Amino acid sequence: MDPRKEQLIGIVGGENVLDDHLTLEAYAKDHSFVLPIKPWFVVKPKSMTEVQGLVEWANETSTPLVPVSSGPPHFHGDTVPSVPGAVIVELFLMNHILNIDRRNKMVVVEPGVTYGQLERELAKEGLRVTMPLLPRGNKSVVASLLERQPTTVPRYNYSLTEPLRDCGVVWGNGEITYTGEAGNLSYSLEEQWRAGEMQVDPKGPAQTDFFRLLTGAQGSMGIVVWASIKCELLPSIRKLFFIPAEKLEDLIDLSYQIQRLRLGDEVLLVNNSQLVNMLGKNDDRIRALKEGVPSWVLIIGIAGRALFPVEKVDVQEKDIGDLAQQFGLKLQSEIPGITDNEMLEVILNPSDEPYWKLKYKGACQDIFFLTTLDKIPQYLKTMYSVANAFEYPASEIGVYIQPQHHGVEHHCEFNLPFDPKDAKETAKVKEIYSKASQEVIGQGAYFARPYGIWANMVFNRDAQSTIALKKIKRVFDPNNVMNPGKLCF
Amino acid sequence: MALSRDVYREFEDIVGRENISDDPAFLDSYAFEWLAELVRPNQSHFMPRPVAVIMPASTEEVQAIIRVCNKYKIKAKPISTGWYHWAAPLKEDEDTIQIDLRRMNRILEIDEKNMYAVVEPYVICAQLQAEVMKLGLNLNIIGAGSSTSIVASACAYAGPGPSSFWMGNNSDNLLGMEWVTPTGEIIRTGSMGSGSGWFCGEGPGPSVRGICRGMLGSRGAMGVYTKCAIKLSDWPGPPELDVKGTVPAYRLPIPDNFRVYTIAVPNWDAWADISYMLYDNEIGYIFHRQFNLAGADLGPALWLTYNDHTKTLGDIEELVEKPEIQELTEEMRISFQFIMAGRSIRDIELQDKILDQILAETGGWKVGRFCEQDMAEFTNMYLQRMGHKHLNFVWAGGYLGSWMQSGTPDWVKDYVPIAIEGLRRDAASGQLVQCGGDALMGCGSQIGGGGMTGLEQFVSYDPADSDSIAAGTQHMVDAVEDAVSNGFPPGKEQLYLQVGQKDEEIWASLEKSAQPTIYHFQRKIKEAFDPNNIGDRMYSILPADKS
Amino acid sequence: MALEDYRADALRCTRCSYCKWIPLDLVKSWRFSKGCPSIEYSSFHSYSAGGRLVTALSLMEGRSKVTDQVIDSVFKCQLCGNCDVTCKLCRYDMEPLAAMHELRFKLVEDGYVLPQHKLVMEGFRKLDNMLNKPRAQRGDWADGLQVKDLSNTKAEVVFHAGCRYSYDSDLGQVAKTSIEILQNVGVDVGIMGKNESCCGGRAYHMGYGPHYRKAAEHNIEAWIGAGVKTVITPCADCYHTFKRLYPGAGSQIEVLHMVEFVSRLIEEGKLKFSKSIPMRVTYHDPCHLGRQGEPYVAWEGKEKKIFGQAVVYDPPRPRYNGAQGIYEPPRNVLRSIPGLELVEMERIKEAGWCCGAGGGVREAYPEFSAWTAGERIEEAKSTAADAIVSACPWCERNFIDATKQNDTKMKVFDVMELVQQAI
Repeated sequence: MDPRKEQLIGIVGGENVLDDHLTLEAYAKDHSFVLPIKPWFVVKPKSMTEVQGLVEWANETSTPLVPVSSGPPHFHGDTVPSVPGAVIVELFLMNHILNIDRRNKMVVVEPGVTYGQLERELAKEGLRVTMPLLPRGNKSVVASLLERQPTTVPRYNYSLTEPLRDCGVVWGNGEITYTGEAGNLSYSLEEQWRAGEMQVDPKGPAQTDFFRLLTGAQGSMGIVVWASIKCELLPSIRKLFFIPAEKLEDLIDLSYQIQRLRLGDEVLLVNNSQLVNMLGKNDDRIRALKEGVPSWVLIIGIAGRALFPVEKVDVQEKDIGDLAQQFGLKLQSEIPGITDNEMLEVILNPSDEPYWKLKYKGACQDIFFLTTLDKIPQYLKTMYSVANAFEYPASEIGVYIQPQHHGVEHHCEFNLPFDPKDAKETAKVKEIYSKASQEVIGQGAYFARPYGIWANMVFNRDAQSTIALKKIKRVFDPNNVMNPGKLCF
Repeated sequence: MALSRDVYREFEDIVGRENISDDPAFLDSYAFEWLAELVRPNQSHFMPRPVAVIMPASTEEVQAIIRVCNKYKIKAKPISTGWYHWAAPLKEDEDTIQIDLRRMNRILEIDEKNMYAVVEPYVICAQLQAEVMKLGLNLNIIGAGSSTSIVASACAYAGPGPSSFWMGNNSDNLLGMEWVTPTGEIIRTGSMGSGSGWFCGEGPGPSVRGICRGMLGSRGAMGVYTKCAIKLSDWPGPPELDVKGTVPAYRLPIPDNFRVYTIAVPNWDAWADISYMLYDNEIGYIFHRQFNLAGADLGPALWLTYNDHTKTLGDIEELVEKPEIQELTEEMRISFQFIMAGRSIRDIELQDKILDQILAETGGWKVGRFCEQDMAEFTNMYLQRMGHKHLNFVWAGGYLGSWMQSGTPDWVKDYVPIAIEGLRRDAASGQLVQCGGDALMGCGSQIGGGGMTGLEQFVSYDPADSDSIAAGTQHMVDAVEDAVSNGFPPGKEQLYLQVGQKDEEIWASLEKSAQPTIYHFQRKIKEAFDPNNIGDRMYSILPADKS
Repeated sequence: MALEDYRADALRCTRCSYCKWIPLDLVKSWRFSKGCPSIEYSSFHSYSAGGRLVTALSLMEGRSKVTDQVIDSVFKCQLCGNCDVTCKLCRYDMEPLAAMHELRFKLVEDGYVLPQHKLVMEGFRKLDNMLNKPRAQRGDWADGLQVKDLSNTKAEVVFHAGCRYSYDSDLGQVAKTSIEILQNVGVDVGIMGKNESCCGGRAYHMGYGPHYRKAAEHNIEAWIGAGVKTVITPCADCYHTFKRLYPGAGSQIEVLHMVEFVSRLIEEGKLKFSKSIPMRVTYHDPCHLGRQGEPYVAWEGKEKKIFGQAVVYDPPRPRYNGAQGIYEPPRNVLRSIPGLELVEMERIKEAGWCCGAGGGVREAYPEFSAWTAGERIEEAKSTAADAIVSACPWCERNFIDATKQNDTKMKVFDVMELVQQAI
């Protein structure tokens, strides 16, 4: 037996070291355009101790590790090895919900916990966690938050990293610390809970926001083995409204005001293609929806929770209605083909199978970045212009705009569906992806999550941050075993 | 050691002759710091003198200064509005140049639509608030008040304030920042580094700002922050504050869509319960236990006296004996200030209804006298602008904050009786102001949306009285012991004490921390970013030989 | 008092820096938030009240010596008192303005004097005025007026013109108008004319304590000799000196500023305006009439502690915090003038920005003085006012010079000049 395999078995157990062809093939690539590279092994640790063992081993043997906590399909290339000889650290077995605290509205989870799983358990305690839009059922909550995937309730975004709070992390050098207030206390979470410490504050410890070094890191700093997450109360009443418009520009001022006044729970802006793809269960349905759906829709969910929930919804509905009226817009409970309940069902839950972005054509390339809302029309124009230049129908492009951080940042996402079996179309989308990314970045789009080809584009523009990040990397992962080749590492 | 003339001239060439000085009296004005007397030898009010004070006007000048510091291994200590003794040089045997950022005082940009402002270090909260209120916006003003630098609180220190419950902690409100590192590089964090503007402080990839500040910032020990973008919030009030009243008791009329209350609860369990219910129901614009800084026994008398400009502090002696004041004192023994702002009249009416229900369920009540127009308008003025924060020093000139450990309301309430008993015990000798033991003040929530609080004892001592100073110092030592012996981590007082400790003492306590690896990581970060060690020990590390 | 008496103040200063700003509640903009001209101009902390307290402490403890920079930091200050107001917003135990005065007294006593001040004081000694003008010309402003000469007769009221009104020919009309008004309503008023002596106030502010004292004693004696019960003056500097300093030298004479008197006349219906002045004006509160124009309260007492360490005074020490300054009377007067529209600057009343002339600054630091005035003119311009109006000749002169230097169209008036135009 390969001595490395023996060593790995010694750490995680024989049944948790995989090197069969099929498994390795599955991890060699994803839905992105990154070059496939096969890993050597896939290992499945079950505990922090085993994870630490793996990282220490990786340092001793100079073996790259690629942490993965979500199930497939993957889309950004961050879970595909960038160098040969890597070991995939698959964290699915670490799928325990360690603690739910209703009073403090906190939950502590391991990285293998998915949104579906978490929602079910939190609901029993009258809680939920703010979700991204239609995550995969097997999407790791921790991974999503670490990658700063936008969540749909901007009102709770006091920081772009919310609702992520503290983490337990095995750093790339094999040392373990806890981030946030958990780092001020013993390594036993149970002891912390007994003492009344609920891992609420993400800051620190000391003078470093260690958790911020993990966010957006694509697993290149360390492996998070648990995370505490801020929850919301489960609403007892919900309503949802559509505010349609012909042009995105018509919704911008209203959206700004909604954010400023912290109205609504779920607030997002989508174009008709996006809406159709979110709701479409099959081709017929998709075709039917496309007929009547307005060009643009601002979707706003209103929730009532705790005391006087009905009145809370009522007041918000009236306040939003007044606001919409000021901009010549109207709240509607339905739009052609789509009811409020149906929309709620969609945006409050993970995607069903197959993953919604793949339903239409089988594949989808995303381009997403952060911006301010006022600049999005310009990026839209650019996107359409590039698509047209390559004869890709602009009407196929799904656009999703997610206000973040109380409306200061906006996640702007373009989804380009394509048939992966059609080589020409695939090549076309690949070109569009590259060209459009370059153009919008030149116009000021901020790729805060620089996956794949974006990494060079971003880091070539920001020399000082690149130098700083490399210094930071050398502190926490001096031997560069953690997902080398990602970002600027 | 004095700067050689050659080195002085190198600095002078950067800023011009009129913007640098090594006059001893001038240097003393930077060495003199509040709290120094508690920790310095012989109760000296002076921290070590800088070798010079220099005032740059631009980021480029700051960069040039830092490069000269690297060249000659001179420590660089930036100061803006300056609060706490650690703003000064720390060691007698370290040559430190004090970089006074006073001339960097511009508001560079206010983006109303996208709700952020970009400021230089000497822009104080009051200035920015006045400007953004004209646009219907507001900012979180930290607990130390509106005379403080926004850059300092967001980048280099802490960041919570009475409005953090609604507007967030300034750590979360920090968007991009411009950082002159200890080696003189200029890093613009977040979107600014990519040339995309100031609006995002995270990324690209992992956030570099993660090494700039954590629970606390570097307190001047890791280069200089020369700009930052700060997130703003909505202000549903008038564009200009229509201040009424006679100095010092300015008052701010309360618009129809606001409510201003002082709320009391019967016990500390109820205080925790009410906090949780307010968090759950998401009502409240400002939430703070502010007025108790004067001490629960004396507070009501002080505030009523303060609001009468014909009265002086001595009038309180008689006032506290009056039956109606004693009644009021008991009524508001465990109380806090709570301001709600509605985006509409229907919204504020609903918030009022929710609050009343919360009070009914927790046994709380609105303190009648403090909800009357005069005191409510005073409360409104005080908390909206936070312009009276040198009231921290009202009793005797000196105040030190002890305790202030942060955690959930349930956790914090558990240390309250220990903190109260500790102050009562330490003030019994009469060398500290005797305000009853409970002078605990703090944010309803230090972070946006609720969840975390912390209460700070306001311990008042006379910095002109040697015995009183000694009592203050002893209280800090006692407070550490009280906390640790009861299973709590040391509080704010440990930070104060550390300024007077030797390196070895500090390292010993860091070694005893639950996860000393943190401080080894910080050492490595410092080695990477400050190889010439021009930042002082306010950035905490453990040396390699302690690992 | 001695500098040592302010050691406790220095030790109790907490470097909160409120002394650099106007009361923060009153801040309406970034531009006009600043309260202290000295630190705005010179930037080092030593140029603030808090910084000067440290200077005092540093000198007292022998940690430093008086250098040119120290002298500059001590004297480059108008002693406008804004710092005092803001400090006392929350402090009952601090007297930063008084401490800064004491620091000047000490420096002057020890021979650290500015050559420009030395020159002025030589004139003061020889000529009894602050402008180095011939004594004989002092009463020329009253030429043509039939008014009692109190050097050889008696009256209930002495009208004290002051050095600036006596010698500044651009401004002298104010004094004349004042006499006319007083006489018209039957006040038994006289003047000292060419025998009028400087109040000594500016000497006090420059740190020449004994010179001031001599002037005070001389004037008080002269007034008592003339049977005077009340002194009325149109000069805020003199007003402050008589009201707040002279009682310490034994004066029991009532003190009024002309604007107070005129305001009273208007309220009693004894003065009516027949002409309209269609103009938009803004009023500048002179430091010595406004925040430093509060009533004098005699006090002798000591510090005591209550509640363990809370610092109070026995008997209670008067609290000069700007609350009772003379703010409304000049405004009443202006509002009563037909056609006049009064608009307010951002920094008014106790928070008013200094005109720049006080504290010996105009004499010793003309650029700084002009800059300070220029800042105030900018603030006036921000109200879209046609004119800035004050009630002090030193303010008026400084503003006139600033408008000329900055080439602005802003007009400068004294309240009494507008009163005269409107009668």
